[in-house]
Amino acid sequence: MSFDINIILRYYPELLGGAWVAVWMTAVSLVFSSAVGAVVCIGKLQKYGAANRLATAYIDLFRATPEIVLIIWVFYCLPLLFDVRIGRYGCAIIALSAYGGAYMAEIFRAGVQAVPRGQTEAANALGIPIFHIARRVIVPPAIRRMMPALVNFLTELLKATSLLALIGVAELIFVASTLGSKTFAYMEFYTAIAVIYFMIIFPLSVYARRAERRRLRRTGN
Amino acid sequence: MTRVGTLAGLVNRWGFHAVLLALGALMLTNLNWPLVRSFEFAFIWEYRTALFKGFGITLLLTVEAGIVGILFGTLFAIGSQSPFAPLRWLVAAYVEVFRNTPLLVQLLWIHFALPLVTGINTTALVSGITGIGLQAAAYYTEIMRAGIQAVPRGQIEAAQALGLPARTRWTRVILPPAIRTVIPALLNQNISFFKATAIVGMGLLVDDFFNSTLRVSNDTFHFIEPLTFAAAVYLVLGWQAGRWTLRLERRLTRGER
Repeated sequence: MSFDINIILRYYPELLGGAWVAVWMTAVSLVFSSAVGAVVCIGKLQKYGAANRLATAYIDLFRATPEIVLIIWVFYCLPLLFDVRIGRYGCAIIALSAYGGAYMAEIFRAGVQAVPRGQTEAANALGIPIFHIARRVIVPPAIRRMMPALVNFLTELLKATSLLALIGVAELIFVASTLGSKTFAYMEFYTAIAVIYFMIIFPLSVYARRAERRRLRRTGN
Repeated sequence: MTRVGTLAGLVNRWGFHAVLLALGALMLTNLNWPLVRSFEFAFIWEYRTALFKGFGITLLLTVEAGIVGILFGTLFAIGSQSPFAPLRWLVAAYVEVFRNTPLLVQLLWIHFALPLVTGINTTALVSGITGIGLQAAAYYTEIMRAGIQAVPRGQIEAAQALGLPARTRWTRVILPPAIRTVIPALLNQNISFFKATAIVGMGLLVDDFFNSTLRVSNDTFHFIEPLTFAAAVYLVLGWQAGRWTLRLERRLTRGER
């Protein structure tokens, strides 16, 4: 067995391009996931009624279905079902956002519910306008509370982008497989992308763990 | 609540319903109705043997993840509590590497790169079993470690004070309560691995349940029916398993109080 580091150095622009696609897909999906998650979270925060039931159904649906099944389903079925042309990148973003929306909804909900009811009521009693309450009373502690879970979810999303190789999105695995089949240096390229993934994901999960520990120490619950 | 609160609630609820109705109307008007009317799910029945076999592989991988994960996870978690620092570092490095890289990368590495190191060519199924086992061990190590750390220190110190040998201390004092506290977490993790088996199927072309349905699709040129069927099966099983786990978790925590 020989490990030829030169071949990685020779093809590093392609590998970096793959990493860029992975990060970019994660960023776009995170934005859309947040939008979906916010809507679903509002539904879930209602105590009863159709909105709550629908939001619960959405969350259960997308958390119980494997991400890969979802990605493949969106890629093969959605364009047929609606008779539209969606590229692989569009399908990737739709699938990841739908999946992410369910997780983001739960993260938002945990954040909002972490704000003590008394604080909102106190602000209400003081006659502070509702949007001001949302912005100054509910959101800051909610964000502080959500950060660890959010960053943790970000690592999950990054890992999920690796599955997009199976529908032909040119992210890291796809690039490595293509280069591998061209040069037969599978060992080198698969090792290289594993290292790249690790370098992106590891700092995030370390941060999430530290932030969670700090939060637990401060609030004690 | 105050008037402001109810108003906000109304805006929330009506806003939510408005978004939902708009989305629903948009979907219904844009659906490809002729195609929807032509759906027939009956042909899936003709492929029942292949699908059952595939489901067997899925179950095999899920159960394997659970067994290998709990066995090696417990061992590694014990290692992570060792007074010998290099052993702790080794466990930590193993856990971090397998938790912070995607499963698909690990699977491809094991299937295509590892044989160049070991000289042993593995079939896709063996690579899949290896990969999912290795990752399960890493995830279960973290869970078991949390369980061990939740055991009150006083109990461990009492066992030491009584002069119990290390083996008895672990098997009789530390591990039983540790495992009991993490049973729900272990089950939830195994549900995640049930979902992850689909990655083994499609990533390495192992004929698990998901890959079998994809092959049915390719064989019949019908994509929507088999894929929807697959999604529904994963959904129902994963959802039901999640509900059972939640119920078990509630019962266990109630017993503690």
